[in-house]
Amino acid sequence: MIKISNVLKRYDEILALDNFSLEIEKDTIFGLLGVNGAGKSTLLSILNGLVPFDEGEIEIFGYDLKKDIKKIREISSIIPQNLAFYEKLTVKENLDFFAKVQKSTKDFIDRAIEINSLKDFLNQTASTLSGGQKRRLNIAIGLLNSPKIIYFDEPTVGIDTRSRNEILESIKSYKDMGITVVYTSHYMNEVEKICDEVAIIQKGKLIAKERNLKNLEKHFLELTKEDDV
Amino acid sequence: MFSAILKKEVILILRDKKALIALFLMPALFILIISVATRDMFLPSLVNFELSIKDFDKTEVTKKLINNIKNNESFSIKNSADIKVIVPKGFSANKAKLKLSINGSLKSDEMELFKAKLLKEIASLKLKILRDRLIPFSDEAVLAIDSISFDGKDMFEISYNKKDTIPNSTQQSVPSWIVFGMFFMITPISTIFINERKQNTLSRLKSMNVPTSLMVISKIIPYLFIAQLQAWLMFGVGKFVVPLFNTPALELNGSAFAFSFLSFGVSLCSVGLASLIAVVIDSTEQASAIGGVLSILLGAIGGVMVPKFIMPDFMQTLANISPMSWGLDGYLEIFLKEADISMVIDESAMLILFGVVSLSFSILILHSQMKRGM
Repeated sequence: MIKISNVLKRYDEILALDNFSLEIEKDTIFGLLGVNGAGKSTLLSILNGLVPFDEGEIEIFGYDLKKDIKKIREISSIIPQNLAFYEKLTVKENLDFFAKVQKSTKDFIDRAIEINSLKDFLNQTASTLSGGQKRRLNIAIGLLNSPKIIYFDEPTVGIDTRSRNEILESIKSYKDMGITVVYTSHYMNEVEKICDEVAIIQKGKLIAKERNLKNLEKHFLELTKEDDV
Repeated sequence: MFSAILKKEVILILRDKKALIALFLMPALFILIISVATRDMFLPSLVNFELSIKDFDKTEVTKKLINNIKNNESFSIKNSADIKVIVPKGFSANKAKLKLSINGSLKSDEMELFKAKLLKEIASLKLKILRDRLIPFSDEAVLAIDSISFDGKDMFEISYNKKDTIPNSTQQSVPSWIVFGMFFMITPISTIFINERKQNTLSRLKSMNVPTSLMVISKIIPYLFIAQLQAWLMFGVGKFVVPLFNTPALELNGSAFAFSFLSFGVSLCSVGLASLIAVVIDSTEQASAIGGVLSILLGAIGGVMVPKFIMPDFMQTLANISPMSWGLDGYLEIFLKEADISMVIDESAMLILFGVVSLSFSILILHSQMKRGM
């Protein structure tokens, strides 16, 4: 379980997370819905120890985030919104590199290739991949350490519908592999498709959290109207 | 983990062939062009005075004097020249002074040099006449006169101190552009670094528990090897290519180990500076601009563009603040003074210290930035 209690995060004068509390069940696909600038990416970066938080407590699978960050990083993985790999390396070189850095085995590399349908592009330089293929490589790198939790930060931004659906389908399969997924998006239809439970975040605050996603639609539509998104 | 990151860095560098070629081609071309272009500037200057002589004395003595002047390579006798030497009647009998008439401008130091060279001829001649007259009277006096020499080689034992040794054009340009070429790496190193920060690969590596120090150190190691290769190739250009253009060849008079060690110092200094720039600036455009300007500025101050020995004293003192000057001084020691490691240890130590300090700062700054989620 991921337990976030009263977390406060400021960027100078901007309050990114305001007394934010949330619990995420193990082995679920949890959606974090919010408009741009709501605080989703900040929360994910905090959960992976990439950004410090000012107040509050976070416990991930029994580990305290502040004390056991190395252990937490070993069992989790973040798929950043921006493509975080080396454009001049081939797909295989990228996967081999990130696998070796994490001391991952060949099995994990093969699994990441298979899930993300990258077999046909292994020797292709990353810069020459299509937008969807790049997104899949970005995700595949996140699977190399066989994580128990994966944080997806809007992984379908800027890609076509077909690639988006492929990615969403692959994310669904992670649940069967015993992986807890935290998925951020500002598309209601995306989280409806894959998530077991969804929370809405707005201006760093938790607005709603529901398993019945129909109830969330109303909340989200009001928010998007408010922010003119 | 370390070997994986190192392998990745090497592949990335090798994939950017244009940048890699520029790192070798740029200093090689500069060495060739500057060595050949400045060849004559660095040759020891041959003093030659053009003069005309009118002899009104017309004795055996004055005929010999004029003959000796003709044979002296410092003088060229013309029918008409700015320097007119008039030998008045009674000169041989010490009853009249030699007259010098100067048209045009002759600097006072040139005038002094001209007088000294002429005086040498007159004194030698008069001494010879004296010697010939003494032959019937005293063998001892003749021997004493024979032992007198006006040749500079017999009169002076000259030892050049470290500061005053003048290199030839190849000895000056090869180390200059080796040092400049290594500091030119500032731009590609900082660009790669900034790209990684922008592409979030550094954050991703951090999320994989890769230490910041490892990220920085693994990035600089391939460049230390490139710099070593660069230094030896540029030496090769100086030794084998430059002489093809009728310009002095470079000889490694000092120790090869000292050359490699000093090159390591220069490269560590430049990659340290590159890392520091990379962590404090935000964009590749800034990296190109700052890297380029800084290289040129350090080169101009440090004696790469203009040799230090022709700089005024205060500029020579100022040059010492540039790490390029430390490297250049070390290389000149090796090429000019047959230096071993002990003779370049000061320069090498300063360069290594500069490199280590700037690298340490860049690791600390990057670590702090990443800790704050920047």
